[in-house]
Amino acid sequence: MASTETHDTPGLFRRVMESEHGFLALVLIVLVVGLGLATDRFLTGSNAVAILHQSSLVLIVAVGMTLLLITAEVDISVGASLAFASCIVMATINATGSIALGALAGVAFGAGIGLINALVTTVLRVNSLIGTIAMMMMLNGGVYLFTREAVQNHHQLPLFPKIATGFIAGIPVPVLIAAVVAAVGWIALSRTRIGRLFLATGANPRATRLSGYSPERFKTVAFVVTGALVGLAAVVLASLLNAGQPTAGQGFELTVIAAVLLGGTSLMGGRGTVLGTILAVLILKVIDNGIILLRWNQDLQIIVPGIVLILALYMDQRKRGHHAG
Amino acid sequence: MPDKTKQAPALRVSGLTKRFPGVLALDDVSLEVHSGEVLALLGENGAGKSTLIKMLAGVYVPDGGTIETKGQERHFTSPADALAAGIKVVFQEIALVPEFTVAENIFLEDHLAGRFGKVGWREIRRRAAEIFERAGFDIDPDAKVRDLPISQQQLVEISRALAHEAEIVIMDEPTSSLTPAEVRHLFQVIERLKSLGIAIIYVSHKLEEIFEIADHCTVLRDGRWVSSKPTAEHTNASLVTDMVGREITDMFPRTDRTPGETLVKVEGLSTRRLLKDLSFDVRAGEVVGFFGLMGAGRTELAKALVGYDPISEGTIRIADKPLSPHDTRTGKALGIGLLSEDRKEEGLMLDTSVTRNMTLATLDRFTKAGFVDTAAETKAAQGYTDRFRIKMARLDQAIRTLSGGNQQKVLLSRWLMHGLKVIVLDEPTRGIDVGAKAEIFALIDELAAEGFAVILMTSEMPELLGLSDRIFVLSGGRITGSFDRAGATQEGVLDAAIK
Amino acid sequence: MKATTRRISALAIAVGVTASGAWAQETPKRIGYIVNYATHEWYQNVIKGMEARADELGIEVEVIDANLDIAKQVAAAEDFMARQIDVLVMTPVNEQGVVPIVRRAKADGVPLVIEGNPVPGMQTMVAICDYDTGYSAGVVAGEMLKGEGDDAPRVMNVGLPLLSATILRSQGFMDGIQTIYPEAEMVHDLDGGGNPDRAQEVSSAALAADSDIDVIYGINDSSALGGLQAWRAAGLPEDDLLVVGTGSEGLAFLNEMQTEGPFKIEAAMFPEKIGYTLVDTAVSLFQGEDLPEHVVSPTTAVTFDEVGQFYSYDGTSRQIQWDGINALPVPEACMKYASDL
Repeated sequence: MASTETHDTPGLFRRVMESEHGFLALVLIVLVVGLGLATDRFLTGSNAVAILHQSSLVLIVAVGMTLLLITAEVDISVGASLAFASCIVMATINATGSIALGALAGVAFGAGIGLINALVTTVLRVNSLIGTIAMMMMLNGGVYLFTREAVQNHHQLPLFPKIATGFIAGIPVPVLIAAVVAAVGWIALSRTRIGRLFLATGANPRATRLSGYSPERFKTVAFVVTGALVGLAAVVLASLLNAGQPTAGQGFELTVIAAVLLGGTSLMGGRGTVLGTILAVLILKVIDNGIILLRWNQDLQIIVPGIVLILALYMDQRKRGHHAG
Repeated sequence: MPDKTKQAPALRVSGLTKRFPGVLALDDVSLEVHSGEVLALLGENGAGKSTLIKMLAGVYVPDGGTIETKGQERHFTSPADALAAGIKVVFQEIALVPEFTVAENIFLEDHLAGRFGKVGWREIRRRAAEIFERAGFDIDPDAKVRDLPISQQQLVEISRALAHEAEIVIMDEPTSSLTPAEVRHLFQVIERLKSLGIAIIYVSHKLEEIFEIADHCTVLRDGRWVSSKPTAEHTNASLVTDMVGREITDMFPRTDRTPGETLVKVEGLSTRRLLKDLSFDVRAGEVVGFFGLMGAGRTELAKALVGYDPISEGTIRIADKPLSPHDTRTGKALGIGLLSEDRKEEGLMLDTSVTRNMTLATLDRFTKAGFVDTAAETKAAQGYTDRFRIKMARLDQAIRTLSGGNQQKVLLSRWLMHGLKVIVLDEPTRGIDVGAKAEIFALIDELAAEGFAVILMTSEMPELLGLSDRIFVLSGGRITGSFDRAGATQEGVLDAAIK
Repeated sequence: MKATTRRISALAIAVGVTASGAWAQETPKRIGYIVNYATHEWYQNVIKGMEARADELGIEVEVIDANLDIAKQVAAAEDFMARQIDVLVMTPVNEQGVVPIVRRAKADGVPLVIEGNPVPGMQTMVAICDYDTGYSAGVVAGEMLKGEGDDAPRVMNVGLPLLSATILRSQGFMDGIQTIYPEAEMVHDLDGGGNPDRAQEVSSAALAADSDIDVIYGINDSSALGGLQAWRAAGLPEDDLLVVGTGSEGLAFLNEMQTEGPFKIEAAMFPEKIGYTLVDTAVSLFQGEDLPEHVVSPTTAVTFDEVGQFYSYDGTSRQIQWDGINALPVPEACMKYASDL
């Protein structure tokens, strides 16, 4: 052991870079330290809460998207579905006076959209990138058939706004929801049979089929889980905006997919972790937050993540190329 | 003849060495080849053959040693340098532009540089035709390369060598995807090249080919030179010993075994694309070989048998139960599984660990309440790696890093761990070293002796004849011949295969 | 059916040409409105106001939605002109893009009223005064804070710096509040995109940086509400906060005001009144009256107590109170225009 240490002295940096999430963790640390030095308003409790709060919506859906990308499929319709589902949530609560029914309707709607996406992909054999872009278009248009304007809060249930703006033990409720989703996703992917088979489906669908499984079934599950999580996020969003917004969620799918890719999940499937996704969501949201704190031009909030994404994928490829060589 | 030896060899390599991070890929290797001569370069995977030819092609720069052509020392820093020195390598992965015509590909460099100017089109066609004439090739210079079979694409590559007046042509496993007729034609081409005074380095591990066309053999093992001898001084066994480093007494061991109950009963099996009305039985403790040329339906049958591909007519019964619904889930439950011919596309999860590759089919057994018991999983995987002597550093290393033979053993373990009754092996030794081949042959015999029904799909005649208890020959999706072990001959089988 | 109406209008024109004197005092029969984006609540209320006024006058209003597509808008205008519409009203998708329509309408003698933003070469435009709207809200906000004896207010502006109209509103608000508190300060100047989700996001980040804020001003209701929701999500106390929205575009501000929380002032723009004014202006133009280039539609800052003068609200829909709105003074010109920026 000692001899390899001395043999490989520039080792620590290299080991960090080559470990599964070392690079992401390093980027996050550099960002946090850098911003902490640049402005004294960054390293405060309230700012940490704000960053986590903002991360929660993206993270909830990104956990599902991680599973989906691992099976080598993608869902571009999550943003459009989020907006539609938020209208469904609010309209259902208005009609029934029950938050539980509203949440159920939102989750069922999202899961239903996921199921349709899955069927289009696995039965009609339409490439999921194209199929879900089509779904996005249908949802973007369809939501206006459902409502021409924002669905307002007519029920005024006191508990409803608390879903997004409440705190439990000093932690915002959406952060708790996202944490539970991420923890379940993490365990499911790394420890359970179905997580294993998601990975196998993406790594080699034919080998998975030859081994006596149906890759289509796992893809379907991943689509439905992603959709259901969109529905869950829609409950939070409706509460946050105190309205169902047909125009919300624009570009949301890009943020989610960028985070998942940044987190080391392969677009080709078969590789990815929820931990990577968590780190990546935090990185993107810390960048967002930093740009506002430093009073930089807000357009950079879109530009910078683009640059970070390219850099991260480049580093990842180099790392993998090195292993292969 | 005598003046040939006095002449400087067409190519002389002395003390060539190449190091990669952590590996000495080639260590002090020397060889020479004369004009008009075929040198066979032999060795198992990882022996250093491809490193050596990549240095001759100018892809890698050597860390030590010299390369001389006709007595002159050469330093290549790019493939263009090697070509300029008269060395042309025909790689396994053919490097032609599929959308260009044959003639354009032959003069690709000049074509791209626009060196022929306006009259170029006619000029390059004329010159391409001239080369085909000289070499005796029957190729249309105007055909698009993508429309040509691999065998003809190889000839286009060789024509490129001739167009550049190459004096040394290196062929890397040229017959790996050719039909027997195409192999015959290639050998005629090689004879022709010899007569034109071209030196040829022929990389292969199909020993019967070596004995047919090579004048000399150089064997490498683990990056080192082992032997250089005229082919006439070698026997099959001596070559294998040089390559593997130990003596392999019996390529095809055979345990005495008596067939048991019928495990596979196929009646009137047809698929929409190819297979027509196939009927046969396979019993426990039996190896049944299916032979066929490319496109005869071997792989189609293999995939239909395990429920992977749909069938249009007929029935498949495994241990007396119908394979219905016709899917791999049912197949696995009834106890039939396939080891695919295409390890990369249909077998391996390349970036996944050895353990996870091995336990893919058996995951349910290691699952408790939805969670995978990784300790039990690792223990089981360790058992199989020990039993099959799978060479690797750690169980959690990516399977990509293992050799083809070891990868194949992992995939075989995937099914053995699950416990099948019937195993379908489609080209189980494709791309595998001689040493590992012998081990897999022994394993197939062992499986049959344990009571497995083994269905072997192969295009390798020695393998077919050496392993099978009974043989069926496929051609155009039909069974065109059946033989028992005693009655099977190479001629009889080939005869049925071209019916 | 269609053919008949066309023949009749052709006849009417023929009659009109011969008896030109009498023609001038008639009201138009049909007004065509090409809205840029009918999905938005704001424009739905503009259309409601148009229809209400047109009903009173016995005029038929036909609406086509360009849906933010300039090509669609041009095609719709050509269609209306081909069908001999009496007056054309248009909210431009793009001010430069509709210039050819303006020229063509002038050439063909079709009266054209532009809504919202000025177009080069236009005859007349109906629009509110953005600066004045913000200004009046700023003054009311200042007075309200003064009544509670607060120090110099710190303002978070949830703005939209892309559009001159919304910049004017924010400027007007700050200038208005500074008439009471000269040292009032804009602490955060944000780009909330004009939509609630983006507004919420940027406000959250800004509040994390500095939450010592007394007033949230939103350039529209979505922005103000997004800012307010960000405030709530950050767990900040609502007792001393004042939220000022702009637009009175839909139900959201009414809902929020009814809770008697921090949303106390709305800079109301009365989209229904714009529709009303559009029809009146169209009639005047048709009758050949001389009109200013900018016909102002009135706005005012409204507190919760006053809101009933203008809107009645039953929880699911609002009804405009025309008496209240029509009683508002209409200024001749705005305090500040986009050209002054």
